[in-house]
Amino acid sequence: MKHLLQPLPSSFIPRPSSLVPRPSPLVLLPFTLLLLANTLFSQEVLQWRGDDRRGVYPDTELLQSWPESGPELIWEFAEAGNGYSSPLITDNRIYVTGEIDTITYLFALDKSGKQIYKVPVGKEWTINYPGSRSTPTLVDDLIYLTTGMGTVACLEAKDGNVRWSLNMMSDLHAPGITFGFAEGLLVDGNTVFCTPGNADTNVVALDRFTGEIQWISKGLGEHTAYCSPLLIRLPERNIMVTFTAHALLGIDTKDGTLLWSHKQDAEGDVHVNTPWFEDGYIYYITGDGNGSVKLKLSDDGTAITEIWRNKACDNTMGGFIKLGNYIYTASYEKRKWYVQDATTGANVDSVKFDKGAIIFADNMLYLYNERGQLGLFKPDGPKMVLVSSFKITRGSKAHYAHPVISDGILYVRHGNSLMAYNVKK
Amino acid sequence: MKRVFFFIGSFLLLLISAQAQDLTLDEIMTKHYQASGMEKLQQVNTVIMIGLRVQQDIMPLKIVRKRPNLSLMEFDVADLTAYQAYDGNIGWSTAPWTGDASPKPLPESRTRDLMYQSDFDGMLYNWKEKGHHLELEGVDTMDTKLAYKIKLVRADSAIQYYFIGMGDFLLKKQTTFRMIRGEEISIENIFTDYRPVEGIPFAFNIETRYPGRSVSMEFETIELNQSVEDDLFKMP
Repeated sequence: MKHLLQPLPSSFIPRPSSLVPRPSPLVLLPFTLLLLANTLFSQEVLQWRGDDRRGVYPDTELLQSWPESGPELIWEFAEAGNGYSSPLITDNRIYVTGEIDTITYLFALDKSGKQIYKVPVGKEWTINYPGSRSTPTLVDDLIYLTTGMGTVACLEAKDGNVRWSLNMMSDLHAPGITFGFAEGLLVDGNTVFCTPGNADTNVVALDRFTGEIQWISKGLGEHTAYCSPLLIRLPERNIMVTFTAHALLGIDTKDGTLLWSHKQDAEGDVHVNTPWFEDGYIYYITGDGNGSVKLKLSDDGTAITEIWRNKACDNTMGGFIKLGNYIYTASYEKRKWYVQDATTGANVDSVKFDKGAIIFADNMLYLYNERGQLGLFKPDGPKMVLVSSFKITRGSKAHYAHPVISDGILYVRHGNSLMAYNVKK
Repeated sequence: MKRVFFFIGSFLLLLISAQAQDLTLDEIMTKHYQASGMEKLQQVNTVIMIGLRVQQDIMPLKIVRKRPNLSLMEFDVADLTAYQAYDGNIGWSTAPWTGDASPKPLPESRTRDLMYQSDFDGMLYNWKEKGHHLELEGVDTMDTKLAYKIKLVRADSAIQYYFIGMGDFLLKKQTTFRMIRGEEISIENIFTDYRPVEGIPFAFNIETRYPGRSVSMEFETIELNQSVEDDLFKMP
């Protein structure tokens, strides 16, 4: 395989062990434990839709209703380029991607919306729905993202320097796709995963520090399905759960073993939404006639059993939220929002608010529909009640980006504009 | 009991239809012009309509019209911006989703359709002077509402149907015909959500129904008499 990885900086070349003084094992023990603890428990990962990629944000003391014109707009960054990706929010920075003149840029902003840097990453998809798709993943001080044309890159967060990059098409044999690569890259420990979707290189694990290949899974040999994968941590193994064209895959993150798959029975091959794992069950919702599904995952993670399937509730790319026994999501076919009973899969209520994306914080659902309306809904068991809404009038192109909430600020991206709204009480 | 209601309903429909037929074509058109604010529209030189084009996707849409027959539609498909325009002589369009975003002249038949479609006052107004022919074909139903069905034979002999509401005399539906791959298909435009703009009623929702699919144009703002240069409509 052609290998185009950039050379590592000298700081990452291991020093020969014979040249290093050998301290006593007892002296090393605390350091070793600290290192282990850091590696196993303290890896800071900021990613697509927050923790576990659920779209559930931990903020509290947020407004429970908005003025008619919406919450206070604190600032707008109007030069983000074309894109549908969400921003990534750290304690003191914001990272967002955007396409300008066919190139994907990573922007770093301060918390007042001022640009710190803007670095090119690779070619972006402009054939249809032109703009950046992939929301960056930040692990400690490194950022991972993919461009629509298949560049997978690792950048240093502080200045945007590219540590390594490769291209899924030229380096990993990815076939051409219809809508551009879109996954928010998943990281587990020292590994970052990508889904080229070729028959022989279906899902690939890369060393996240060097970009070198750790393993290749053939999956089912189907092309990629634009899904940002889910990581399930079990006592016996960690599982990467993602879609390819016609199936959900469960892959052991250690060695790439395909543990199980769940076939779709409709033609649609776009499965953007990250699945949801809770109490031993996997929930997923996808579009184009496939609908929503609940699966039971065996305790060791090696098998699944279908519990229910509901084709009357489909969702192509807006995500869903599960609260207790209820699932809230938009039906793309019917253009309205459904509440599903998570036990039976039945649709128990519907609300007209056109299709779009959903997130949750402080007991409220935030719905951002494709008409540009942002709605604040109160989830009430099998009901969802509209409390307030306003229209996003700034920005450009389609309203697809999923909002983010951090530190009492609601971040809404509409094409070239990233807006910060104060939703603190 | 159901039969009684059916007979009463049918009788009322016949009665209303008979009364409706009492109006002549000229009387219907006069009422239609009044209801449509044609007198005020004569003082309007440009119309800019901004909103959404709703099909599977929901995308931005802008339509600019200028007297006597200039029009430009800016619309997004797959988030790529495309144009269709008539500059008074040439019809042209772009189709960036094909991979080629350069403007191209429309075929002669499409240009002719676009020319008539760009008539600022609509083809029903001053139809005789424009060389069209109108016939009142009777009364038809639009969902549960009654409408006058009017056949328009265009100056170039193409046929269209107009349905004018019996209650408010506003245009409810227009049916046109187009040859696609050797087969004639009918295209229906449904006009709803009329709201006054400077005293002139405009349909803020126009749904176009093709066989097996439909596209809606939902306008959020309609502005009159904004300054628009003729160059806007010319093929770049």
